[in-house]
Amino acid sequence: MGFDALFSASYEIVAGGNVLYLLAGILLGLCFGVIPGLGGTTALALLIPVTFNMEPLAAMYLAGGVMGATSFGGSITAILLNTPGTAPNAATTFDGYPLAQQGKAGLAIGASAAASALGGLIGLFTLLLFIPLAKKIVLSFGPSEFFLLTVLGLTAIAVSVRGKLLRGLIAGCVGLIFAFVGADAISGELRFTGGVGYLWDGIPLVPTLTGMFAISQMIELALKGGSVARQEAGNNPETMKVTGVWAGVKSVFTHWPVLLRGSLIGTIIGAIPGLGGTVASFLAYSSTVQTDKDPDSYGKGNIRGVIAPEAANNAKDGGSLIPTIAFGIPGSAETALFLGILVLHGIDPGPAILLYHEREIYGLIVALTASAVGASLLGLMMSRYLILITKVDVGVVVPVVIAISLTGVYVLEGRMADVLLTLVMGIVGYLMIRFDYPRLTLVIALVLGETAEKSLHQVQLISDNRVLAYMFDRPISVILIVATLLTFFLPMMRQVMARRKMIAE
Amino acid sequence: MNNLLLKGVVAAAMLAASPVLAEFPSDDRVTIVVPYSAGGGFDTIVRTFAPAVEIALGTTVIPENVPGASGTRGGQAVSRAAADGYTIGIYNIPGLNVAELVGRDLGFDLASVTWIANLAQSNYAIAVAGDSPIQSVQDLCNLGRPIKLSDTGTNSTSSITSVIAFDILGCPIVNVTGYGGSNDTMIAVLRGEVDATLKPISSLARYTDTGDLRLIATLTEETVAEGVQNAVELGHPELAQFGLSRAIGGPADMPAEIVAILSAAFRTAAESEDVIMWAESTGTELNWLSPEDTTAMMADISEFYLQYQDLLK
Repeated sequence: MGFDALFSASYEIVAGGNVLYLLAGILLGLCFGVIPGLGGTTALALLIPVTFNMEPLAAMYLAGGVMGATSFGGSITAILLNTPGTAPNAATTFDGYPLAQQGKAGLAIGASAAASALGGLIGLFTLLLFIPLAKKIVLSFGPSEFFLLTVLGLTAIAVSVRGKLLRGLIAGCVGLIFAFVGADAISGELRFTGGVGYLWDGIPLVPTLTGMFAISQMIELALKGGSVARQEAGNNPETMKVTGVWAGVKSVFTHWPVLLRGSLIGTIIGAIPGLGGTVASFLAYSSTVQTDKDPDSYGKGNIRGVIAPEAANNAKDGGSLIPTIAFGIPGSAETALFLGILVLHGIDPGPAILLYHEREIYGLIVALTASAVGASLLGLMMSRYLILITKVDVGVVVPVVIAISLTGVYVLEGRMADVLLTLVMGIVGYLMIRFDYPRLTLVIALVLGETAEKSLHQVQLISDNRVLAYMFDRPISVILIVATLLTFFLPMMRQVMARRKMIAE
Repeated sequence: MNNLLLKGVVAAAMLAASPVLAEFPSDDRVTIVVPYSAGGGFDTIVRTFAPAVEIALGTTVIPENVPGASGTRGGQAVSRAAADGYTIGIYNIPGLNVAELVGRDLGFDLASVTWIANLAQSNYAIAVAGDSPIQSVQDLCNLGRPIKLSDTGTNSTSSITSVIAFDILGCPIVNVTGYGGSNDTMIAVLRGEVDATLKPISSLARYTDTGDLRLIATLTEETVAEGVQNAVELGHPELAQFGLSRAIGGPADMPAEIVAILSAAFRTAAESEDVIMWAESTGTELNWLSPEDTTAMMADISEFYLQYQDLLK
C-alpha cells in the first residue's frame, strides 16, 4: 500500500525544485509562528491564492512546510517572552519562561526544538500505522465521545492548577461563560450578545488568546522594567553566553517517556476534529505534571514541562490527518485550509481521497515530517541570536511586540473590533496575573465550552434524552468516563497516600 | 521625477475627463466579497471563477473573505461599497432569504441588491448509510418514530429544506443540528447516530460513489440516479423547487452598463475550460443566469419560502 507512494513522495521532494517550496514554507511558518496572533492558519489562508498557479504537489510541500514549522516558531516567543506565538504554545510558557528568566533559555529552546522534531516524527509514524484503521477510528468518535473528551479536558484543568483549585475553577467558569456567547449551535438563538453584531459568532479565540497572553505579558513586563533574563539570577555578562542548547536537545532523549506520552496525546487529540493543538499540548502538560514524582517542581522551570507540550503540538499534525485520510474531512483548522488548497486544484476531498490522490496526501505527510525536522534545525542554528531578545531592555521589546501582535490580529479578519477585543482581553489578562488567576484555564474553557455544549445537546437529541444509557452503551465513552474519574481522584488519592506515609514515619 | 509627475497628472486628467462608466474595466481591481472563510463552498467557486473573470474583464480580480455574523457581514460590506462595480459579492441563497423571512436583521436589504449573475445551482437528495435496511422514503417514514436527520445549523439552507420537505411529505423529524460541516453530517449517518441526511446532490456524490452512503430520493423533477425516486414519483413535484444557488450581486442601484459587462465576464468564465473541468471533477452544476433571470429567480425564491413562513418560525 502506502510505502511506494511514501517513497516516491520522498524522492520527489529531493529530486525536483520542490525542496525550495518546502524551505519557503518552513521560513514562512517560523515567522508566522513567532509573531503572536498570527499562526499556521493565517499563513495558509494567505497562501491559498498564491498556490493557485502551482502544481498540486508543490502546493502541498509549501503548505506542509508551513504547518510543520509554526508550532516550533511559536515556542520561541513562549519561552523567551512568556508570549505564546500560536495558541498551542501557551502551555510551553509555564516552564519555558521560568527557564529563560533563570538564564537557561538555551536549554529550553534546545529541548523545544528536539521535542518538536521528534514529536512530529512520532505523530507521523503513528499516522502511518493507523492509516488502515483510519475509517474505524473516525467512526468511533461521535458526539457522545466529543462531549466526554471535553469533560476530561476540563477536569484535567481543574486538578492541574496546584494549590489554587478555587481560582482555577473561577477562571474556568468565566471561560465557559465566554464560550456560550453568540448563536446557540443547535437552535441558532442569540445569547448574551447585547445587541452587538460582532458577538453573533461568539467571542473569537485568537484575539482573546493574543490579549490574554501577549498583551497582558507586555503590560507586566513594562511595569517591571529591566529585561526578561533577570540580573539577580547571578548572570554576569560573561556567563550570559548562550549555552545549554545541546543539553536541551539531549534532555529530550533522557526524558523519552515524557516525549512519547506527549506525542501520543498529541496524535490522539489531533485525530479528533474540533479539539485542536491547544487542548493537545495542555493535556500533555497536565498529564506530565500529574504523573511526575515531584509535581511541585513544575511552573518553576522543569524541562519536562517544555518537552511534553511541544512534542504534543507537533504530533497533532500527524493525528489531524487521520480524519482527512479516512473521509477527506479536516481534523484541524490547518487541515481545513489544506483541503481548501486541494479543492482549488480540482481535487475533491471526500472518503475516496486516499484512493485517488495518494500522491498529494503522501506528499503532505513527507513535507510535514521534513518541515518538523527542518524547522528545528533552523531554529537551533538561529538560537544563539534569538536568545539575545531576553537581554534587550523591555522598553524596546514591549512596543514592538504590542504593535506586531495587534497588526497580526487585524490582518486575520480585517476587523477593528478584534483589535479592541485583544486590548480588553489584555487588560483582563493583566488583572488575572496580578490577582493570581490562571489564564490558560480560562482559554481552554473557552475552546472546549462550545464543543461540550453542542455535543451534549446532540446526544440528547440522538438518544431521545436517555443520555447516560446511550453513553454506557458505547465502549469508548465508558473508557473516557473512567479516565475522567481517575484524573479527578488520582491527585486526592496521592495526597491521602502521602499523608499516611507521613503518619507512618 | 518630473516625468513621473507629468504622467500622474495626465492619468488623473484622463480619469477625470472620461465618464467612469464607459471606461470599465479600468485598472482598478475588482473585489469579490466572500461572506465565509477561505476553503468553503462559496470561497471555492469564487476562487475558481476569479482567474477566468480576470481575463474576461482585463483587470485584477481579488476574492476577499469577510466572514462573520452567519454570512451577513460580507453582504453588509458589499452594500456599503460604491455602486461602481469594483466591489461585488457572492450570496448564500436561499439562506439569507429565509433568515430575513424569520425576522433576522441582516444589516442590509436583500431586496435592494443588484443581481449580476447566478453561477451554479444544486438540488437536494436524501441519503442513508450504504448498509442501512431503509430502501425508500416510505421506509423512512414507517420507522414508527420521528426520523432523525443530521445538519449543520438550524439556519442552514439544508436544515430549512429538511423541515419544509418532510412537512410536505407528512413525516415527523428530529433534526440533529450542530455538526461542523456538511461532511460531518454525512459521517453522522455513517456512524449510525441518525437515520438519514438531506444534502445537495453534489456533496453526497463523494460518499455515494464509494458506497458509504446510498441515495433514496432526489428532490428533482427528473430521475437523476437510476432506481432512486424523484420528487414527482414521491407525489410532491413542488419539492423540486428547493435548491442551493450561488448568486453574484452588488450594491444597490448599479448602472446597467456595468452590470452587463460583469455579467458577460462571468458568462465567459462559466464557459471557460478550467471552470468546466473543475465543475465536472467536483460534481458542481454550473447554471449561468443573466441579471434579469437572476433577479427573477430571487423573487421566485422569496415567494416560495414565504408560503412556509409559519413553519420556519
